[in-house]
Amino acid sequence: MTKSLFEKYGGFSVVSKIVLDLYDRLLDDDEVGPFFDDVEMARIVDHQTKFISSLMGGPASYTDDQIEKMHARLTITDAHFDPLESIRRETLTDHGLAPEDVEAVAAAFEARRGLVVE
Amino acid sequence: MSIAAINEQLLRAIGVGVALLDLDTLRLRFCNDTFREWFGEIEVGQHLIDLFSGFDVEALKEALNGEGRYTTETTFRLRRRTMTIAMAFNRALDGDEAIAVLVCQNISRIKELESMIDSYSMMVERNTREIKREKEQVEKLLLNMMPRSVYEEYKTFGIVTPRLYDPVAVVCLDFIGFAEMVTAHDPGVIVSELNDIYTAFDRIGEQFGCARIRAVGDLYIGVAGMPDPTEDHAQSAANAAVRFLRYLKQRNATHPIQWTCRVGIAAGPVVGSVVGVQKYIYDVFGPAVVHASRLRYHAGPMQIVGNRALIDRLDDQYVARPSGQAELTEGRKEDLFAIEAEVPAAQDT
Repeated sequence: MTKSLFEKYGGFSVVSKIVLDLYDRLLDDDEVGPFFDDVEMARIVDHQTKFISSLMGGPASYTDDQIEKMHARLTITDAHFDPLESIRRETLTDHGLAPEDVEAVAAAFEARRGLVVE
Repeated sequence: MSIAAINEQLLRAIGVGVALLDLDTLRLRFCNDTFREWFGEIEVGQHLIDLFSGFDVEALKEALNGEGRYTTETTFRLRRRTMTIAMAFNRALDGDEAIAVLVCQNISRIKELESMIDSYSMMVERNTREIKREKEQVEKLLLNMMPRSVYEEYKTFGIVTPRLYDPVAVVCLDFIGFAEMVTAHDPGVIVSELNDIYTAFDRIGEQFGCARIRAVGDLYIGVAGMPDPTEDHAQSAANAAVRFLRYLKQRNATHPIQWTCRVGIAAGPVVGSVVGVQKYIYDVFGPAVVHASRLRYHAGPMQIVGNRALIDRLDDQYVARPSGQAELTEGRKEDLFAIEAEVPAAQDT
């Protein structure tokens, strides 16, 4: 069995750093940040932990249906989705993921664009 | 720069929020830059209650007048982030005046890490539960295919060593007119009836130490005396077989579809092993299986026929009547025996 990216890059100890870093960057961004204005910290962290873990093949997964429901009340456009995409790329690259692995995660993310973008 | 000036610079720039309060009035006397950065533009002389709404002033006063120390936490939003600050008040003297020194530490990161560990442990716990459930299902499936001791060997070593079991007793049972029954009834009905009967046989077999090894269509094979050898394997097999018949008779009396079986029991050696690599199955084969299978052809409807090796080991409860001869092994005729027993109702299942 091939190793998941989650295992390849050192499991939770590395993913936790990526999660907190991504959380910081998302909140600082003026396009994406406002989506989290009314979300409490524990929920953002919970969301990011599961999100990053699932993108890297770790111990979490979302069904398309769940993703759709979670974003249903938000008005998300490509103008929001695109910066999110680049922030995530940046974060993963800064944490030492190889370009092909960043691409793999990006592809998994891109595949779900239709579920959240109106 | 004087020591006092250095101290003041240090106090202003330090990453810990520091404030001094008048203990009687709880009004602010001083606060450093970090304190301002967290709690906003604050002016000297402001009351504590104006800075932190909902603050328990009474508890603070009581604690400071008592042991001289009070700690609490406050949570608020700052630039979209949830800030959690740990506050520690300490009573002190400024000359003759009683003051409170308030030291604030930013513990937001700790709270974030706690949330992350909570979230992560919940994911891991859920996954662990799922894995455990799947493992139990696999184990249940494998235990349907092989005895527990064989399963344990398979689990530990990844292989099962083929083993000779000698002697054991094998019960072979099939139904007369099964092919006609299958075409005469709805397939669902036949399967449901067979399920019913085999489940009862399994229960009887379990009670008397004669475990099912195989059930293919109308052929049911059980073995007594393995994997753990037992002295009374012949007795166990016969005990189970007479109760199979008794069960069917009782069932036929109350059900529209009549099941008539014939049973062969043979004592002798068998080999037990897992056969196959990808599609493996635990199988038992050898003389006792072949003989039991052939013996059943010599049994009449609802009758049990056994070989000599078997009846030699049965107790007085059983009556074995000579029932002719047959070639159980090529070129060698052997005596056959029809086996009967009175089963007291109290012993029945």
